[in-house]
Amino acid sequence: MSQENHPGGDVFSLINRIDAISPDCPLEDVAELFSNPGYSKLLSLPVVEDGRPIGMISRYSFMDIYLKRYARELHGKRPIRNFINSTPLLVELEQPLAEAAQHVAANMRFPLTEDFIVIRRGKYLGVGFVMDLLKAMEQQMRAGTEELEQAYSQLKSSQLALVQSEKMASLGQMVAGVAHEINTPLGYVQNNVTIGQELFLQIQTMIAGYEALVDNLLNEQANEEQISAQMQQIAEMRNDVNAQEMLGEMQGLMADSLYGIAQISELVRNLKNFSRMDAAATDAVNLNDCIESALNIGRNVLKNKVEVIKELGALPKITCAPSQLNQVFLNLFTNAAHAMQEQGQLHVKTWSDDGAVHISVADNGKGIPEENLTRIFDPFFTTKPVGEGTGLGLAITHQIIQQHGGEIHVESRVGEGTRFHIKLPVASATARQSAALEAAA
Amino acid sequence: MSKPALLLIDDEERILRSLRMLFFVGYDVRMTTDPHEAIRVLRDEKIHVVVSDQRMPVMQGSELLRIARETSPATMRILLTGYSDLDASIASVNEGEVFRYLMKPWNADEVKKVVAEAAAIAEASFAVQSHADAAVDAASTKPRVLIMDHDESTAKTVHETLGDRCEIVWASDAQHAMEELAKQDISVVVSDLMLGETNVGYILKTIKQLNPQTQCIVVTSFNDTSRLIELINQAQITRFLPKPVSKGILARNLESMLERFHMLRNQPVLQKRQAVAPISDPQEKIQAGNFMGMLGRLRARIGA
Repeated sequence: MSQENHPGGDVFSLINRIDAISPDCPLEDVAELFSNPGYSKLLSLPVVEDGRPIGMISRYSFMDIYLKRYARELHGKRPIRNFINSTPLLVELEQPLAEAAQHVAANMRFPLTEDFIVIRRGKYLGVGFVMDLLKAMEQQMRAGTEELEQAYSQLKSSQLALVQSEKMASLGQMVAGVAHEINTPLGYVQNNVTIGQELFLQIQTMIAGYEALVDNLLNEQANEEQISAQMQQIAEMRNDVNAQEMLGEMQGLMADSLYGIAQISELVRNLKNFSRMDAAATDAVNLNDCIESALNIGRNVLKNKVEVIKELGALPKITCAPSQLNQVFLNLFTNAAHAMQEQGQLHVKTWSDDGAVHISVADNGKGIPEENLTRIFDPFFTTKPVGEGTGLGLAITHQIIQQHGGEIHVESRVGEGTRFHIKLPVASATARQSAALEAAA
Repeated sequence: MSKPALLLIDDEERILRSLRMLFFVGYDVRMTTDPHEAIRVLRDEKIHVVVSDQRMPVMQGSELLRIARETSPATMRILLTGYSDLDASIASVNEGEVFRYLMKPWNADEVKKVVAEAAAIAEASFAVQSHADAAVDAASTKPRVLIMDHDESTAKTVHETLGDRCEIVWASDAQHAMEELAKQDISVVVSDLMLGETNVGYILKTIKQLNPQTQCIVVTSFNDTSRLIELINQAQITRFLPKPVSKGILARNLESMLERFHMLRNQPVLQKRQAVAPISDPQEKIQAGNFMGMLGRLRARIGA
């Protein structure tokens, strides 16, 4: 925070260029000055000798002396030097406003009877009013608050951006996984069609040969030589291509292709279900369906490595943001898979009791050390190498569960595994929550 | 001549059936979903080409191909996978030493061509009695090692490992590297993929086209899987070591690549085993063309 950026932001702006009085100035002249309208705002007059402030005489203490009986006659000609407060409040021009205010506040006397003197390297510059200083401080604080608010909203939006990027990262990972999985059926379907096309051409040529032969056989004018040449040609073709066998094989490949296409369709349908591209952001759903959907999408991470044991109990539908909960489940499943060094088990269990739906996700992976356990929901906390995890997965999971009015707990033992327990209220859809879900979705 | 034998391994039977049909004519096709069965076949029978999937429940394809390398060294190894993850591609270079890394879905004509090429190379390899008789005649000419890396630690490790046994050149930019390569044949190249701002992939690819016996070790922190796959197919890099690489690992690989170089020099037939696919990237094609031109001019001037 730099001073220049703030309205009335420095000591300089507080200076009132008041002609100081000399210490030799007689009391009666000072009385004149105090009644001068030009000085009416002043609580006190600065006393300066050789350019250096040596004291302050306040209206208050002056009156105290001067209004006494015979004071005018007794002291009127005496110099003010004898009556001044020789330790006035001094503020250095270069001082930051906050520091000056602190200094003044700490040293001013009550009731407030004196102004402060602004100096520069010991030399008198002018007088400052305490009220002005306070006002300037207030302004600065207001500006500071605005700045804080701005910083806060910036932070909030950058956090949103991060959440978005984590969303994109997990979405990207998921799409990449599914795209790879599609490659296998796509591989054989494409190959089969290519082979079929080639075979089709060969068979076409063969049929043309047969037809030409038949035509000639039926044609009485056809000569023997021509016919035997055609027969020779057909025999060669039959030698090259065993049409019956190839067609038999091809039939199998066609069935395979249909199977592959069905598989591709299923993968695409899973993707659609998972992302809920064409469904409402909030909906009443059975969470078992969300879990199945996440398991389908995570299959490429889980398969060959994780044995999934499902114990899905009967659940009431709950109103939630299904795409977000899908993300939560996928995150927990893939985390579990990553926690397993070799093969492992993933135990997913759901049940419901009065007013709540419970989901338990347990793995027998390497577990989380105790010192990390309290931090796993913290944003940016990750034990993965740089570039592999954003450290936001579980933070977002936590946030999503909270927005649903639910709870998430973790327990873990190193070497034994980790279990997450999520509890979501069935009747969570208070107006505020569903509004929050809409906004977050 | 009998048909070349082709062994297919994939955990998806439909892939196997589909490929068998593609190679129905001209090959003796064996296929299995079980990698252990595949290893048995490789041990007991003469297999020219093995085409394996990467992700399988029992064993990774790169692991299977590593075993194939030991069990039947003359067999040509091809990986056919739908997953392009970095770990798999690194393992396929360093362990599997694959001839080609092919992606699913594949182009039928391309796969046919690659398998045909591999089968012919394997036939020639079988004809060579033994690989092990690489009598080291290192004394005749000192092998040359070219370092293309800004990293001083790479150069240091190479110097410490090879000492006086080799002539070592350290090129810190692409121009210098190309000049060195033009001057004389290099036995082993130790290269990062990025030399300053320049991606030197095209240099490695061109070198391998000109000098099949040159062995390329890539040490890099650059980890773009599709680039790596290109380098496998088009530069036949024999090692890919992610940075930071430990001294021991680099030293060990340097030794084995030097040995490989000697063996290939003594058995030119086997050089074909590292035949490269044509450069596919249009930009790199141009760069490679320019490099070839420069090489021709320089070599003519030197009178080599």
